[in-house]
Amino acid sequence: MASSTTSNVYIHVIEDVINKVREEFVNNGGPGDSVLNELQGIWEMKMMQAGAILGPIDRSSASKSTPGGPITPVHDLNVPYEGTEEYETPTADMLFTPTPLQTPMPTPLPGTAQTPLPGTAQTPLPGTAQTPGTVDSSLYNIPTGGTPITPNEYSTVNDSGGASEVKPGHGRPSPYMQPPSPWLNQRPPLDVNVAYVEGREEGDRGAPHQPMTQDFFMMSSGKRKRDEFPPQYPNGGYIPQQDGAGDSILNDLKGASSSSRIPQLDGPISDPYDDVLSTPNIYNYQGVVNEDYNIVNTPAPNDMQAATPAPLPQNEVVDDDDDEPLNEDDDDELDDVDQGEDLNTTHLVLAQFDKVTRTKSRWKCTLKDGIMHINNKDILFNKATGEFDF
Amino acid sequence: MATFELYRRSTIGMCLTETLDEMVSSGILSPELAIQVLVQFDKSMTEALESQVKSKVSIKGHLHTYRFCDNVWTFILQDAVFKSEECQETVGRVKIVACDSKLLSQ
Repeated sequence: MASSTTSNVYIHVIEDVINKVREEFVNNGGPGDSVLNELQGIWEMKMMQAGAILGPIDRSSASKSTPGGPITPVHDLNVPYEGTEEYETPTADMLFTPTPLQTPMPTPLPGTAQTPLPGTAQTPLPGTAQTPGTVDSSLYNIPTGGTPITPNEYSTVNDSGGASEVKPGHGRPSPYMQPPSPWLNQRPPLDVNVAYVEGREEGDRGAPHQPMTQDFFMMSSGKRKRDEFPPQYPNGGYIPQQDGAGDSILNDLKGASSSSRIPQLDGPISDPYDDVLSTPNIYNYQGVVNEDYNIVNTPAPNDMQAATPAPLPQNEVVDDDDDEPLNEDDDDELDDVDQGEDLNTTHLVLAQFDKVTRTKSRWKCTLKDGIMHINNKDILFNKATGEFDF
Repeated sequence: MATFELYRRSTIGMCLTETLDEMVSSGILSPELAIQVLVQFDKSMTEALESQVKSKVSIKGHLHTYRFCDNVWTFILQDAVFKSEECQETVGRVKIVACDSKLLSQ
């Protein structure tokens, strides 16, 4: 739900955006006004379903009956229809956007629109595109070091390709994770200090990032075949995130004896491994673990610890049902469990800070221009003061 | 003008992103144009918050986690109370993400 003021601001923003991108849609071989209207219709529809805009019919009818009214002061009337004039004279239908209810569209459940998922393509934070995901995940992360991992989980971890580098049970987005909307990721991380120049350029600049992702996938498959390490590794040297796996590679080449140097890989794996060893019952009864254990860890335990967990190649053959491709939903379920809250009730404040100070354990901050989503309400503020004790 | 992508995580931003996502997926919209729309949203949302919103809010709570990284403050509060002129809300756990306002004026 949203207060009426919030709703009005949202409506204003929607119309402002629509009006200001109209030129791009109409000119230069853009998709045209109809697509823009569809965009607005779907957007408003989603907002109503999310409860962020009040009075679904109100707004549309208000814009028809009282254009220039308080809610829609800058509706289409102010914008000349240069683009459509060449086809036909403007009609009422063209002047006013179709009411969202008439727009054919998939109808997600209410509330789905307001669930910021960790690791989705949203990149609101300046500087790094990955920060939000990390932020989110760390929010919900509860260290799972002591959590017993069942043998079934073990096999899943082992089988699910890239998951080997991500601590199981943590909501951190996997580097192998397929981005939900590739076009959003085709741009470099936002630099807030640089004024936006032109979307097309950004798209072009971002284009080379795509092959990198491909290479990364190749690397991940090559990693599992240890014979290919020496030729593969130098090729992937420019990929920064190889660090984690690279350590194990180095250890591997050194003789694979110093297992202590690979805490991250050992953590999730060794527990079930010990379980299996120490509790023969599990070992015997869990057929799946038995299988995987033999396949993966036939070498001496020493070697097993140093090696990459040797997950089955994910992108070569889909071998068994455990080997589901990673996607963004995987982490969230765990997060939900950890947090014990529905995603719809995730409370979030997005704002700008003017000042943050601390005196001993007392924190004070002044924020401005914020959007709060609290108790399923959207509240906007111009200024906010925070007083927290740590 | 510099903009924050921060507000894309809000309800309105998520709705827009989903909409664009669908339209790009179905081929109606080019990714470049979709990004332009998002950037325009960044600007419009920022402007609207500056010019149209006057309310003031006070936040109190127990600071569970604080983080300052890449000019972004992240606070996780527990048992936070939000007071505004209109209402008062209490939540058990809330995250505050705040970008440096000075970056916008550069």
